[in-house]
Amino acid sequence: MKTWQCLSCGFIYDEALGLPQEGIAPGTRWEDVPTDWKCPDCGTGKADFEMVEL
Amino acid sequence: MHRSNRIADFDDPSFDPFATFESATQSGSGEDPYARLAEMRRQKSVFELDYRELLGSPPDLTMQGLPKYMVLGAADIQQVLETPQLFSNTIFERNVGLCFGRSLTVMDAPEHTRYRRLFQKAFMPSVVSKWGDTLVDPVVHGLIEGFKGKGRADLVREFTQYYPFQIIYRQLELPQADIAVFHKLAVGLTCIVVDVAHGVEASQKLGAYYALLLDERRNGGGSDLVSTLAQAEIEGERLPDEVLVSFLRQLINAAGDTTYRATSSLLAGLLSNPDQLDAVRRDRALIPAAIEEALRWEPPVTVCPRLTLQPVVLDDVQIPAGAEIDAMTGAYNRDPARYDKPDRFDIGRKPLRHMGFAYGAHVCIGQHLARVEMTRALNALFDHLPNLRLDPDYEPPQVTGVNMRVPAAVHVRFDA
Ligand code: HEM
Ligand SMILES: [Zn+2]
Repeated sequence: MKTWQCLSCGFIYDEALGLPQEGIAPGTRWEDVPTDWKCPDCGTGKADFEMVEL
Repeated sequence: MHRSNRIADFDDPSFDPFATFESATQSGSGEDPYARLAEMRRQKSVFELDYRELLGSPPDLTMQGLPKYMVLGAADIQQVLETPQLFSNTIFERNVGLCFGRSLTVMDAPEHTRYRRLFQKAFMPSVVSKWGDTLVDPVVHGLIEGFKGKGRADLVREFTQYYPFQIIYRQLELPQADIAVFHKLAVGLTCIVVDVAHGVEASQKLGAYYALLLDERRNGGGSDLVSTLAQAEIEGERLPDEVLVSFLRQLINAAGDTTYRATSSLLAGLLSNPDQLDAVRRDRALIPAAIEEALRWEPPVTVCPRLTLQPVVLDDVQIPAGAEIDAMTGAYNRDPARYDKPDRFDIGRKPLRHMGFAYGAHVCIGQHLARVEMTRALNALFDHLPNLRLDPDYEPPQVTGVNMRVPAAVHVRFDA
């Protein structure tokens, strides 16, 4: 499981946790997050996220 | 007192920016703005009016002459903040632009996006979490040392009002001798909305001081915030001096004043609900939930203003180009359609987005730092002040104001 960080606001998407509030189940891999998904804090698109080690 | 010759005070040293700023943010009537806004939201979402006049705070002199609309409905607030092509941050050129300069707040895309990433690098969660030990803990422990033997304190006047500012001085590695005037000028900046002349004077003097710091540190390889930002680079691009100085000018207000207020309201919420206070004290894993609930329940920033770039229709209301749109983010956080019994402070709520740090492209860049600061502050208070509770000799704390809300005092007792 990996974590991905928004370059514009620092929001972290953690594959293990998913985003149940937004209908993305825990365990959802980054590549399976819809391509038109946007950062829930700042609206930046998936392309501007970067994988990070926590 | 030793006076620094590096930083210039106001020409009139008797000018009191602290009193002037407080007068600009408080409601004259003392009425609870949330009760009024809740009643109005039951009728509709968008009103053509000035929320300041509605809620009894002084008019913003820099916004005179603009048609003004207040947005209360959650969906409309969200739309305003996620559609910057229509609802522009250039509205801030009128006030923030005059005193802070070309800070992120006054910019739209694509300029905003570019610079935002450079600044954000310095405030990523992995960076700011390290400051917990090095910057935040020494400050909060030092302040609490000052009153922990007394058995009672006003946590606002003795703690929250100081700690975020002292953290900034450490981030910037300010020479001790410069701090008093620095702080005065920084608060003076924010007086711009009611006192343009002093705001502009403060802006010039603080700008000259930051230019001096930049010169001293640009190539020094230091690790303070000025040096770090001066060296920040993405794909070969660095921050222009003007943009960097403007960001630093904004810091006292954006980082210090907000965190002081948010922490004060967090303490008011917890101390007024002893069962929740006890739960958090015993299980520190509940601290993040307490912080998010405080930011939902009493966000210091309650309004995000934007400027319409073209005519728009919102909630069936025709709005012209060039209008001030006030997205009432504080009211969003109290919307009963989103939060059950929204006026209650309740750390047990199901996590749900709030707008304490706003939302969209301009969402708070310092939110991860603010959470570190508030977490460390709360832990330190619990660790040093056993049996912390409200002081029954005083009125319970009351969060007041229209924008930049805060309780005037949080009187507590503890076992010394
Ligand atoms: C609990 C404390 C804080 C609160 C409640 C808060 C709240 C906010 C809000 C509501 C906004 C958006 C305003 C708008 O869009 O109209 C904002 C933006 C901003 N905040 Fe914070 N803030 C806090 C702490 C901090 C800290 C510690 C920093 C330090 C770096 C900071 C720096 C900024 C900056 C630079 C912006 C402008 C971002 C942009 O326009 O892209 N804030 N903050
Ligand atoms: Zn983001």
